[in-house]
Amino acid sequence: MRELTISSDAPGQRLFVLGNEAIARGAIEAGVQVAAAYPGTPSSEILATLAGVAKELGMYVEWSTNEKVAFEVALGASICGVRAMASMKHVGVNVAHDPLMTASHIGAKGGLVLVSADDPWAWSSQNEQDSRYVALQGNIPVLEPSSVQEAKDMMADAFRLSEEFGQLFMLRSVTRIGHGRGDIVLGDISRERRKGSFEKNPDRLAYVPRVARINKPLMLERFERIKKAVNTLAYNQLHMADNARLGIIACGLSYSYTLEAVKWLGLEDKVSVLKVGTPHPLPEELIISLLKSVEEILIVEELDPFVELHVKAIVGEHNIGVRVHGKDVVPRIGELSTRKVSEAIASLTGCKLPVDFVGLDRLEQEGAPLLPLRPPALCPGCSHRASFRAITAAAQRVAREYGEDAEPIYPGDIGCYTLALNPPQHAVDTCICMGGGFGLANGMAHIVEAPIIAHLGDSTFFHSGIPPLINAVYNKANITMIVLDNSATAMTGFQPHPGTGQTATGDEAIAVKAEDVARACGVKFVEVVDSFDLKAATETIEKAIRFQGPALVVCRGPCATIELREKRQAGEKIVPFHIDHDKCDPKCNACIKLLGCPAIIRQGDKTVIDAPLCTGCSLCAQVCPYKAIIQA
Amino acid sequence: MHRLQPLCSSLPLQGYNTGVNNVAREINILLAGVGGQGVILMSELLGKAAIVDGLRVRGSEVLGMAVRGGSVTSIIRLGDDVHGPLIPQGKCHILLALEPSEALRHVSYLSSAGLAILNTTPIVPFTVSLGQSSYPRLEQILEKLNSVASKVITLDAAQIAQEAGSLLAANIVMLGALFGLELLPLKRATMKEAIEARFAPKAALVNIRAFDLGYQVCRRAVA
Repeated sequence: MRELTISSDAPGQRLFVLGNEAIARGAIEAGVQVAAAYPGTPSSEILATLAGVAKELGMYVEWSTNEKVAFEVALGASICGVRAMASMKHVGVNVAHDPLMTASHIGAKGGLVLVSADDPWAWSSQNEQDSRYVALQGNIPVLEPSSVQEAKDMMADAFRLSEEFGQLFMLRSVTRIGHGRGDIVLGDISRERRKGSFEKNPDRLAYVPRVARINKPLMLERFERIKKAVNTLAYNQLHMADNARLGIIACGLSYSYTLEAVKWLGLEDKVSVLKVGTPHPLPEELIISLLKSVEEILIVEELDPFVELHVKAIVGEHNIGVRVHGKDVVPRIGELSTRKVSEAIASLTGCKLPVDFVGLDRLEQEGAPLLPLRPPALCPGCSHRASFRAITAAAQRVAREYGEDAEPIYPGDIGCYTLALNPPQHAVDTCICMGGGFGLANGMAHIVEAPIIAHLGDSTFFHSGIPPLINAVYNKANITMIVLDNSATAMTGFQPHPGTGQTATGDEAIAVKAEDVARACGVKFVEVVDSFDLKAATETIEKAIRFQGPALVVCRGPCATIELREKRQAGEKIVPFHIDHDKCDPKCNACIKLLGCPAIIRQGDKTVIDAPLCTGCSLCAQVCPYKAIIQA
Repeated sequence: MHRLQPLCSSLPLQGYNTGVNNVAREINILLAGVGGQGVILMSELLGKAAIVDGLRVRGSEVLGMAVRGGSVTSIIRLGDDVHGPLIPQGKCHILLALEPSEALRHVSYLSSAGLAILNTTPIVPFTVSLGQSSYPRLEQILEKLNSVASKVITLDAAQIAQEAGSLLAANIVMLGALFGLELLPLKRATMKEAIEARFAPKAALVNIRAFDLGYQVCRRAVA
């Protein structure tokens, strides 16, 4: 079998890829020279893919400390005249929001593209916000693909458009694009490598009030030109059916569901369909043609009624006699599907649904009570499980002294360790945003009488944990801060970060240590513990909680998944633990109740260790009151 | 074989086991399992083989919070009539489940002419050990699947994988079983080439053995 890869110079050939790889390929074809990102599902594979071919293709690719920095890296490179991009998940765009709003005033010298990966249904996110509103606020034009192929094409085109109009562009992906799969036809790879240079131009680049006033009208002019151009852009397409009563405007991925639904319902010749690939600005001329040709309009888009509001405005402005439907029949929450679009169309046309969905729902409901709960869990051997055992044991010990009902408070954060929300850890009381745990703890400390133990991971610490840490020192917040350091951005795919001593492209770097940062910031209690030394870790964390003033403990232990992979590669033997049933009290189950390790299971009336899952971490042996768990 | 006719007739699939140049309109395959079982790898291999044999492929998966021992679903859709990344409820032609309860989770996606292939080895989540939930009996799962599917094929993929040389190859056993249906417009040889290309030589041997064993078990089941 011929082996094509993402960097193959093989125009016309087909490759089966993940959507995020397709986006990376688009950037490669456009000759992107600088790419920066912070990992976040469903966007991470874009930069990971580029990092893998950076040296071969002569690009600069980095994992930045956070999304704001990533966007600034791309903006800096664009200002110097080269094609640059930043990719992030939708909530990452919030972090980058500040430079983004002014970047659109600057315009783009080298093509500049922001990829926002939205997450309808919040599969891996704290919310399902619609980043098209960010684009609206910033006057940033948006391309929204309907398929994996189009994601690649649009990404490549976005750089060209960005330079043609001198404006920053956004590619809005969603989970089912980025984590969609499909075959793509490869295009030509641009080998152009520009020598960037910085030209001083404070009237365009140094935003004092006067400069903002100079550039805002220029930005609006650029946007007006783009608004005209999108009417003839191939990503927007109007398919008119003769004498159609209903017209459908389908945005981005919704277009693929719409195509299937229209066919499923047998309405191919009966409805007109406008495919929208630029939700902002909308192709107004095409929309007006469609609006004038039908009696009713259905707008199909995921999440918020973004296109809908704009179409309603067009209807009002041009006084067109057409009834506009959207979120009255299409769900505003979660992902769309061919079924949901079919139901929406059926509700307006009265046509019969092709499948008995009610019957299928009943079947699903009948099956649901039989299903075991299968939430994601910390992996066997995860160092966070050990850290949380120490944290909760220490915190409960101290909390008792605050009163009988006193409970420790655990402001948590975003990463694998968010899973400690679940039993048996129950050690995440809040999870709002990256770095938010330390921030919230600052506020609570001045209000409540209870031990406050905020925790976050190593990558999150560098992302946005440092300002609230300094705040705690400055404003004397009596909190305990724990850095759960497993030397990886594990949840998103084990990407390196400033603490790992390795860059995105595998080069060595200075490993920044959380404890050094904390000491330098004036934290007076700073300790580092081995997560798997349960006794010592618990004692140290207890001291930290009792310390008056902000205290920080780094719980250090490797990511089990990475460690196992490395051990297997090195041919090192993994020696699992097992339970000595002569010593074990089968009614005790302390190991299960305290740890919830997937490798410890009940088999009949016995508790056993599932040897293939056990990593030999020893944590269960340390909590067993009967010393019944031993290494084989 | 006659029990497979409803699928064939509803899918214009006749003759696909012999040739791959027919125009496949729409074939929807849902792969279900638990994080760590290799569900995503299966869909990668299937997709690669499909484009070699000239088919259009669409699909998607959910990663992130779902991978840490949670449910994993991957979708592969073949054919020119496919646009979206998701299988509509009631349109899944083949449900390939690496874990029994994960098959049950997707029962409402099966088409009435659809088939289910089921690995009978359960992976009992820790919530059952904690007493927070219970695991269904295999008969309960089969009853629900049989109420929709035209045929349900069961096999012990874990044991077959062990026979092939590695417990880790259960996913490839299931891929073999999928080809044992002889319903896909894909050459078995293309699939095996994709498997061989994916693994180091020693592991490739084990996996090819696993594929062949899975294929044979399924052939016997549908015969």
